[in-house]
Amino acid sequence: MIQLEQVSKTFRGSRQPAVDRITLRVKQGDICVLVGPSGCGKTTLLRMINRLVEPDDGMITVDGRSIAQMDPPTLRRTIGYVIQQVGLLPHRTIAQNIALVPELLKWPREKTARRVAALLEMMDLDPGEVGHKYPHQLSGGQAQRVGVARALAADPPIMLMDEPFAAVDPIVRVRLQDQLLRLQQTMQKTICFVTHDINEAIKLGDHLVVLKAGRMVQSGTPLDILTQPENDFVLRLLGDDRGVKILDQTRAETLMDPFADAAAQAAANGHRVQAIDPVKIALERMMLMNTDEITVCEGARPVGLLRWNAIKAHVHRISGGAS
Amino acid sequence: MNVIGFIRDNASLVLAYTGNHIALVLVVLALSLGLWISTGLLISRHERLAGAVIGLGNVIFCIPSISLFGLFMSVPGLGLGRRTATLVLVLYAMMPLVRSVHAGIRSVDGTVVDAGKGMGMTGLQLLLKIQVPMAWPAVFAGIRVTVVLITGIATMATFIGERNLGRLIHQGITRGDAEMIIAGALIVSVIALALDYAMGRMERIIISPGLQVQGGERPRVGA
Amino acid sequence: MNFDTTLFLQALLHRAPGHIAEHLQLVLIPLTLAVLIAMPAGILLTRPAYRRQAERVMSVFNAGQTIPPLAVIALFFPFMGLGYGPAVLALTIYALLPIARNTVAAIASVPEEVKEAARGMGMTPGEIFFRVELPLSIPTIMTGIKTAAVLTVSTAVLAALVGGKGMGAIIFAGIHFFRFELVLAGTLYIGIMAISLERGLALLERKLTPPHLKSARRRGTI
Ligand SMILES: Nc1ncnc2c1ncn2[C@@H]1O[C@H](COP(=O)(O)OP(=O)(O)OP(=O)(O)O)[C@@H](O)[C@H]1O
Ligand SMILES: [Mg+2]
Repeated sequence: MIQLEQVSKTFRGSRQPAVDRITLRVKQGDICVLVGPSGCGKTTLLRMINRLVEPDDGMITVDGRSIAQMDPPTLRRTIGYVIQQVGLLPHRTIAQNIALVPELLKWPREKTARRVAALLEMMDLDPGEVGHKYPHQLSGGQAQRVGVARALAADPPIMLMDEPFAAVDPIVRVRLQDQLLRLQQTMQKTICFVTHDINEAIKLGDHLVVLKAGRMVQSGTPLDILTQPENDFVLRLLGDDRGVKILDQTRAETLMDPFADAAAQAAANGHRVQAIDPVKIALERMMLMNTDEITVCEGARPVGLLRWNAIKAHVHRISGGAS
Repeated sequence: MNVIGFIRDNASLVLAYTGNHIALVLVVLALSLGLWISTGLLISRHERLAGAVIGLGNVIFCIPSISLFGLFMSVPGLGLGRRTATLVLVLYAMMPLVRSVHAGIRSVDGTVVDAGKGMGMTGLQLLLKIQVPMAWPAVFAGIRVTVVLITGIATMATFIGERNLGRLIHQGITRGDAEMIIAGALIVSVIALALDYAMGRMERIIISPGLQVQGGERPRVGA
Repeated sequence: MNFDTTLFLQALLHRAPGHIAEHLQLVLIPLTLAVLIAMPAGILLTRPAYRRQAERVMSVFNAGQTIPPLAVIALFFPFMGLGYGPAVLALTIYALLPIARNTVAAIASVPEEVKEAARGMGMTPGEIFFRVELPLSIPTIMTGIKTAAVLTVSTAVLAALVGGKGMGAIIFAGIHFFRFELVLAGTLYIGIMAISLERGLALLERKLTPPHLKSARRRGTI
């Protein structure tokens, strides 16, 4: 668990604080996403957690221990850091780059080699093809993936990821996001993830933190923020399709009319979605099938009926009928 | 004019001079590498010293070598001979070596150092695993320039009594002996060119292919 | 070491000044020749038609610089005899490399997108060269010329060995007679000449440099 208590940082020579009295808690196994416009202090906040930047004020603890008392190199070896500019070592091959932290931790050679190969595959890179190349021979997106692999190398319990997917194309990006979510189910790491991209934030985050000019504007689950944006700034950040995004975050079961009795259940029509599917998926099916209602199931068992009118009313209610 | 003939007729002399020349260069090189590379590393960590130290190196480098020999030979305890020659040549090596180490370390991409820190490297690990390997092309180029430079300037040490290839040129000029001049000049030039060539080849072998694309700029050679 | 003040002052005030003009000739003539040869050569080597030869030509310049200065002067001496001739030739060869290398490096480092933008505006190759590449390259080219100048001031001392006169005459006399005072006096003038030449060229550089590059250089962001 990472905890920040009233943390502030003002860089020498600038009048505005880069990070201004932030209090934040990232639970074990959660992905906390920091979003906000360029220059709002996301990177600075992240770098205070591994002490690459020292806060002027406030307190940061990891698993209950104040990091100010810890030896920075030791602290950093337990925290994977994917830096925004990638920062691969140009004089080392890709495999040697990924092997860096295991090397610092003095892992046996074979174990490191196996780990490197596994990580490259995990990142959709061919170990035989890419492993012996040098950083300048990779594309921006490939280099970024190597940066992620390098941070994961020693399997640190905490990951700080600074816009790790910014340079990859949309298709690969979606694949890497899905991969991160899939891995996270088994790895259960505590992750701080920085992004500009609100869609990425909503998709990956268990918890979002919206920053503006060093201040925390709002924090909460993606659905909290989508349904109750604190102010115009958050509303604008969420974009023009807030309703659709909400439907992507809302489970079909929450808007359905549950079947009252077995008779109704038996009458259920042929089109179905799962109860835990997002409403957006249900909507897509309904449009494809040209129907106004769809059966919601738990496994094979029909549990309710989701109606077009209910969806419409929900979006209308949330957006306050304004947009 | 029969230069080959001259060399053959005076083989033992030419050989002795060449041996002396190379010996002086090697001694100077060993001392300079130890002294100036550590100085370069030191000033890269204490930027405030850097300006002064590099400035001093530049000033020394701009003084004609013959003047330095002339000034130091009158210092008590130095006098004519090997000691003064060594000292002056080591001083000459300061500028290219210190500057290339400093520039090499400074040119290391900050984000890479940052990534290293983020991975938990200690100060020494940063230096040994990131800064030194990445600065190495620049440092090696500096060493290459220094070797060539010292080989050339060592000829001037003949004016304070060194018996090396410079002496062939110097005596050749005073005697008006063209064969002697050309023999001396040729042998020195061949040695300098060969060293430069050999180190150029070495560069390709000992520098990580990941760094070779950037093609380090070579500092210049002086008088 | 007993310092003979009278001898030093006599050398500083009477003997050495006579050599200043000679020495400046030994510097300015080779430097001018080198600029006239190396700059056009450097520019030519960055033109598409000759770019492939660049490496080979530069390695010839490099070799010229690798040969010790005393050897270069000595090699010309038997053919050209005593006097300015061998010294001027050797010093010219010596000054070529820094100028040629900086010219090539400067022009090659003009960002491709800047040239692309210029082409997009409809500039001809000549216009691109004179309005974009050359102005942006001046600081680096001038650095090469300054380097060559300082180098030539000190190398020109060797001219005295082959009867080329210059400040070297007094310095070598000092060595010969073990008179430290003469060496010091001569060296002081060498230093003054090197610094003034460097300053003068820096002044010229400021005149030639486009204003926005000046401030960028001051902040050290180039
Ligand atoms: N080392 C530094 N020295 C001085 N100011 C800095 C430094 N690093 C960041 N800043 C300033 O602090 C503020 C926050 O920077 P930060 O890098 O945290 O922003 P960011 O949210 O990560 O932006 P981006 O999305 O563009 O990466 C900016 O105004 C920046 O100019
Ligand atoms: Mg950032």
